Amino acid sequence: MNCVELQDSLAEVEDGSTIEQRAHLMDCPACTVLVKELDLIIEAAGRLQEANEPSPRVWNSIAISLREEGLIRPQRRGDQRAVSSFSARWGAARWLVPAAAMLLLALGIYVRQQSAVKQMAQQTPVIAPLIKASELNDDDLLQEVADNSPAMRVQYEDNLRRVNQSIRDAQDFVDDSPNDQDARRSLMDAYHQKSMLFEMAMDRSLP
Amino acid sequence: MSAAGKGDLTEPRQQKSTEPSEAEAIERAKLGDAEAFQALYDKHKRRVYSLCLRMTANTAEAEDLTQEAFLQLYRKIGTFRGESAFSTWLHRLSVNVVLMHLRKKSLPVVSLEETTQGTEEDSPRKDFGADDVALAGSIDRLQLQRAVDSLPPGYRMIFVLHDVEGYEHNEIAKIAGCSIGNSKSQLHKARMKLRDLLKINRAEKAGKSRAG
Repeated sequence: MNCVELQDSLAEVEDGSTIEQRAHLMDCPACTVLVKELDLIIEAAGRLQEANEPSPRVWNSIAISLREEGLIRPQRRGDQRAVSSFSARWGAARWLVPAAAMLLLALGIYVRQQSAVKQMAQQTPVIAPLIKASELNDDDLLQEVADNSPAMRVQYEDNLRRVNQSIRDAQDFVDDSPNDQDARRSLMDAYHQKSMLFEMAMDRSLP
Repeated sequence: MSAAGKGDLTEPRQQKSTEPSEAEAIERAKLGDAEAFQALYDKHKRRVYSLCLRMTANTAEAEDLTQEAFLQLYRKIGTFRGESAFSTWLHRLSVNVVLMHLRKKSLPVVSLEETTQGTEEDSPRKDFGADDVALAGSIDRLQLQRAVDSLPPGYRMIFVLHDVEGYEHNEIAKIAGCSIGNSKSQLHKARMKLRDLLKINRAEKAGKSRAG
């Protein structure tokens, strides 16, 4: 076996342990060095594992895709360990808007049963603070959406603008015609849409 | 030694008591739990990304492929039944993602003999020059990494799968669609080429320090 033959044979038996290889290596310092150096490379290759970390961009893109594909489902567990800063800040108020919507629904049923204008007027102050409370949260909600899913901010902003306009329009109709059941139903629907929007945003703000 | 057998494929990270176990995270991820998805990602991201980076030698491509591998994982996680280790399953899936990518780019994953030989320039030398620089002692990880990055894609892939990731030749032959002999031949040529590259690198460094 000559040097070239030994080199070729290393593809099959890399440690030079066959009889022919050993015989050649006994007499050839250059090939002995070659085998040792290949061993060094093999040994060093093992240290290349897990040496790098992807940038945060990778997880952000994955998270957005998971949500867009609907692979992440809203969690209803009490486990709040990893909720976002939004949930931490607004945890207590998390159900304010849906609760307001439910209150409005109950109110609507009540109002429907009471046709007197006077009674309707008594209920109006209850509605007004709810409107203000929910509108106050819009900027924070948009900021949170922007922080967690920047690509969704424009969409949320647009949806919020539209639903707020619907609430204002419906409220105007209710103010003008307190006995108009369709107007009251429209107002309830508008609030319900806004509460759904908030719920969606809360789910998206989860990690 | 197979990939699954070459040590623990997961990160040797100490788990906090509040973190879900991997089995728990897998079950929760099957239910669409966002936190579980992230826990699995955190645990395996380095392994997957490093594999992608070794095989492509390109950080942007490696990040895109890491993203694709994890997305595929999450899409398919409902089918994971635990017959193999989760890390092995993910690793194979990641290798497939990279191979598909290389094929789409029409790169010679494991090309036919005439192309796997590489160009004259790429092929390892067969002579042993008297004034070769010896690779004595240990090989610096960064130097080796640079040398691996400059290997032709076909050589690089076989070297990474076998010597870095611990795949056997029969496994490589199966996933790369080549013969076992071809895999062995490629690996040997890759190592010889690496040896040349490392020696050139050392010779250049030695020349610079002499000149300085």
